[in-house]
Order: sequence, then structure tokens, then C-alpha cells
Amino acid sequence: MRKIKITFRVTVFLLIGGLLHYALPQHDVVRVVNTYQERQDLNDWTRIFWARPDDQSATLINRDVQFIQTVKMRTWLLGFVPRETTEVMVYRNEDTGWGWPFYFKFDTANLQTEADDLSSTAQNPQWAVMTHYGWRNEYFSAFPNAVAIRPIDNPNVTIIPWFNIFFFIALMAAVLFIRAMWRQFRERSVDPLLDAAEHQFDEVQADVAQRRGRFTKWLDSWRDNNKNRPVK
Amino acid sequence: MGFIKLVVFGFIGLTVIYFSVSLYSRSVRKERLEDEFDAENPDGDRDARDAFVTAGLQAYDASIRPKLIGLVYVVPTLAIGAIVYMINAN
Repeated sequence: MRKIKITFRVTVFLLIGGLLHYALPQHDVVRVVNTYQERQDLNDWTRIFWARPDDQSATLINRDVQFIQTVKMRTWLLGFVPRETTEVMVYRNEDTGWGWPFYFKFDTANLQTEADDLSSTAQNPQWAVMTHYGWRNEYFSAFPNAVAIRPIDNPNVTIIPWFNIFFFIALMAAVLFIRAMWRQFRERSVDPLLDAAEHQFDEVQADVAQRRGRFTKWLDSWRDNNKNRPVK
Repeated sequence: MGFIKLVVFGFIGLTVIYFSVSLYSRSVRKERLEDEFDAENPDGDRDARDAFVTAGLQAYDASIRPKLIGLVYVVPTLAIGAIVYMINAN
């Protein structure tokens, strides 16, 4: 039972953690190499890794998607520990519109222009901070979605994830508030009901005990009173 | 259409939160009034207690606190507006 409980908790934690890791914004230090546009097929389960920029896109089986090719500074631990080495990273650039995840991004064309403007060579690099969400997976052809880009002078910049700090504080507050609400609801609404039910149950039991008492007495009246008398 | 979906489901979700918070806030206030009365009158009669709690809850309903719960609708709307502006402003 304990093992099942632990497994259940770990699964829930991993699912929520995975969802947040996919949907919350992250920052990469990148150098834009090129941008391109390619037609993508959207008619299998990997559809979940592509956005739905507008209503008609929900029914299309393929459409053009814009991409931003970059060289990215590697990091450890979700970007908290910088490293000296680089890797390549390709971002998709899609509107999220009014739907999930709630970035309300409508400026795809502008972002593509900004990325084009920042593109540079390895000899004369122009570094930039790319804000994005999502995962890169080569086997499923999944790409993180670029949300914003801003130029920086030095690739060793310190980035403070203000939104995520605010988000986790708000999440903690919401969890504590829901717990307080649940406790108040239990104390004021559920416990009195349970108490009343318990009281009623006790009364019924007492009633049964009394009846049984009468019945046993009546039975006893038929018994031979001398039967259990100790032998002298 | 996506916008309408967001507005409709957002409104439903926020309404659920609004009523939950309203009930919670009122319940906390009622409990505090009951405790207050019990502390002042250890063996007060039931009618006086009910009258005290009812008067206290009426004062609560007339105060600004329950109206502030309306911020449940205002704050997310402003937050979404701010995000839309910050993401798309050039």
C-alpha cells in the first residue's frame, strides 16, 4: 500500500513537473545562424508539438511553419549553470493565439524579422537571449517555440527568470489557499454532518442494545435458574 | 473563435473561483463571530448568539470586503492584457 502511494505521488509529480517544464518560459543564449520556412505534416500524434495559431489551422493536415536556426550556449540544470560549449538548436516560430499554452503570441512575422536582423557568423558573433517554451526532440521532430529575442553584448549574461519566480510564488499561494478553503469546508460543513450521523448511529445502537436487553431478559425468564448454581 | 472560447471558459472558471472564495470568506467571518460571542458570554443563550452572528454577517455583507472578491475577475483580465502587450509590443 505504501509502495502504491509513493508510486502514485511520484507519477503525479513527474506529470505536473513535465507539463510545467514544457509550458513555462525558458531563456537560451543563442547566436542566430539562419531562418527558414518549411511545410510540415500535422496529421499524426506529433500534432501536439505544434501550435494552433488560428481556428482553420486545427483542421489542416499540413501548413508552412517558420523556423529559426541557432547556435546555443549549453547549460546544466535547466539553464541555471552555464557551460563553455555550444550546440545547435532549431526553434519553430508559431503564433499561439488565444489558446494553450497561454503566451498570447501574435507577432510571429515580427519575431522572424528580428531573428533575421540578428543573424551573424561565427567569426563576428552577435549573441542574443531567446525566450522559448517546449522541447526539442529529433525523433518526433518536435521543436521549442520561440517567443521573444533580444540582443546582448556578452554571452555570459545572468538571466533572472522573473516570470517563473512569480509563477511559483503564485502557485504556492494558490495551493495553500485551496488547502485552507478545504479545511474550512470540512470543519464547518462535513464534520457537523458526520457528527450528526455518528450521533444518530449511536442512538440506533443504544436502541438495539436496549431491545436486546429486553429480549435476553425474556429468554432468561425461561431458563432454569438453578442450572448454573454452583455445586456445594 | 479562439478568443470567444477563452472568454467563455475563463468566465466559467473565474465564476467557480469567485463563489468558492465568497463562501470561504463568509464562513471564516461567521466562525470568528461565533467565537467572539462565546468568548464574551461563556453561557449565553442561543437566541442572543444567533442575533449577534446575523447582525455581524449583515455588517460583513455591507462592508467592502465581499466586493473586493470581484477582483477575481479583474486581476486575471488585467494580467492577460499585460501579457498580450508585453509579448507582442515591438
